[in-house]
Amino acid sequence: MDILQALWNGFGVAFQPLNLLLVVLGCLVGTLIGVLPGLGPISGVALLVPLTFALKMPPESALILLAGIYYGAMYGGSTTSILLNIPGETASVVTAIDGHKLTQKGQAGPALAVAAWGSFIAGTLSVVGLMTLGPLLAQWAIRFGPAEYFALMVFGFSTLSALAGKNLAKALIATGFGLMLATVGQDPQSGISRYTFGFLELEDGIDFLVVAIGLFAVSEVLVLLEEKTPGAVRAQVGRIYLSLKDFFLSLGTILRSSVLGFLIGVLPGAGASIASFVAYTTEKRLLGAKARFGEGDLRGVAAPESANNAAAGGAMIPLLTLGLPGSGTTAIMLGALMSLGVTPGPQMFEKHPEVVWGLIASMYVGNAVLLMLNLPLVGLFVRLLAVPTWFLLPAVVAISFIGVYAVNNNPFDLLLMAFFGLVGYLMRKLDFPLAPVLLGLVLGYLMEINLRRAMTISNGDLGYLFSSPIATLLWVLAAVSLLSPVLIARFRKQGLGQESEI
Amino acid sequence: MVDRVVGTVVLLLTLGYAWEASRMQVGFLSDPLGPRPFPYLIAALLGLSAFWLLFRPDPNPTWPPRSAWRSFALVLLSLVAYAYLVVPLGFILTTTLEMALLSYLFGARFWPGLGGALAFTLVVYFLFTEGLGVSLPVGRVFG
Repeated sequence: MDILQALWNGFGVAFQPLNLLLVVLGCLVGTLIGVLPGLGPISGVALLVPLTFALKMPPESALILLAGIYYGAMYGGSTTSILLNIPGETASVVTAIDGHKLTQKGQAGPALAVAAWGSFIAGTLSVVGLMTLGPLLAQWAIRFGPAEYFALMVFGFSTLSALAGKNLAKALIATGFGLMLATVGQDPQSGISRYTFGFLELEDGIDFLVVAIGLFAVSEVLVLLEEKTPGAVRAQVGRIYLSLKDFFLSLGTILRSSVLGFLIGVLPGAGASIASFVAYTTEKRLLGAKARFGEGDLRGVAAPESANNAAAGGAMIPLLTLGLPGSGTTAIMLGALMSLGVTPGPQMFEKHPEVVWGLIASMYVGNAVLLMLNLPLVGLFVRLLAVPTWFLLPAVVAISFIGVYAVNNNPFDLLLMAFFGLVGYLMRKLDFPLAPVLLGLVLGYLMEINLRRAMTISNGDLGYLFSSPIATLLWVLAAVSLLSPVLIARFRKQGLGQESEI
Repeated sequence: MVDRVVGTVVLLLTLGYAWEASRMQVGFLSDPLGPRPFPYLIAALLGLSAFWLLFRPDPNPTWPPRSAWRSFALVLLSLVAYAYLVVPLGFILTTTLEMALLSYLFGARFWPGLGGALAFTLVVYFLFTEGLGVSLPVGRVFG
């Protein structure tokens, strides 16, 4: 019963007063970020990382806070989808379909309640999954050498590129751009400066936080400036309740979507947004005429909300066991951990058990906290939407300034932030996915180091990269995932062609 | 059409990136691979993807109206100015001005916009410097 013993120690970490406070804080901030449209979990996590540095938090506390924001945002996102038809973040877009119909029918209470209960059950189940699968995967991955790691990262990039956007070429350009940024600065092995163009500020490389805040937070403000968002809105929330009959009706959907969401979350590249979408369409097909999806069915809310919470838990598996983040948010967590002196990977379970198990235990606590916070306090959160846009968005920019400045105490980073804000805006307009840039930047260094270590071992023989069965398998998987969107599109075209003939 | 422009820009960027890699001077104290091949690998990935984009561009996005571009230019210029002025003028003054400017662009009236900006800036300034120990520039003019 090693796992139970480790979990017990983890609860010891999670119940330290500071960490308990941080779980609650993370869940609260996460819920707020989820509720407020135009501020996604990525920006939220990026803006709070400098705080963890400033307070000199131990790595486990920092991770507990950041993870709390991440899954808290999944809870909060459903609220505005259901009440106002405005998804608070992308993982709750499908929730709006049935959720808002229910509100129009006067069923907002049950819809919010089923979202909260579904999120709670899914969140808890995904932590159980993380707890049982994580150590197994870590034990397997501990034998990985540089060749396997390099192949693993290629696999991570190709699945992310294949899943991240509509256009594979654009996703690959985004990945390449991120990797390009990672090569700026002093080369750790030969000591020469690369791509610094004489700027001393670039010697240490481009900080991932500066890029993340510019690319996500600042560009979001530019996008909203263009859209001329509707001002403050007010919504009515009735009593939040869920009858036992409705609960049991939805339970099957919640459980199935949890498993589905968890599995999708584990896959690098497919995050909570894809999980919620897949769970909704799967349930719609599975239940068929027994449900009335699209017309205001509780299960249409339960499916995506369970799936996105389970995916947030699942996404921790590749991050913690392989050091391979699958999304923009987990990429920031990886960057933050590395800055705090902990490199996630299979060794982390042995070297830093307090980080891994403290996080796992805190996620149990966090899910319960969210359920307790959300059911009675939804009305309060919704009132926040009455904060006018003209105050909220400039405030986000002000916090961004502090976050960026606090990293190096250097105004040069503020220039970089403005530059990446513009780049992020243009990329959004032209349908380039943003997450691969961040992933490339955070992983680029590790990818190059592993490639060069592998070449040092083999004395420059490229065949070494394909020499072990695991490495070969990862290369094959990478190729398959990269080709999959092309193949799927071709099948779809053929299918459509036949239909139009009939 | 815009995608073709982007593809060309990426292609040029890639060429410059690869050319810069080729000029790197490597001492004899390096690993067998050295600092150049990884950039070449990235350049190859980017170059191929950019070519692909040139041949298979997406339809153009809908661009915002002219008036929005004027606000964008204003926002970006103000962000650049902020980076240069924050140390000499201090966090409180520059951040208040920047926030007020953004508030007006988002449709605030004069006094509420300025008041909100000043109040929020003061709150976060003291929260972060006194409460959390983050150092923010006071401003040479005042210090």
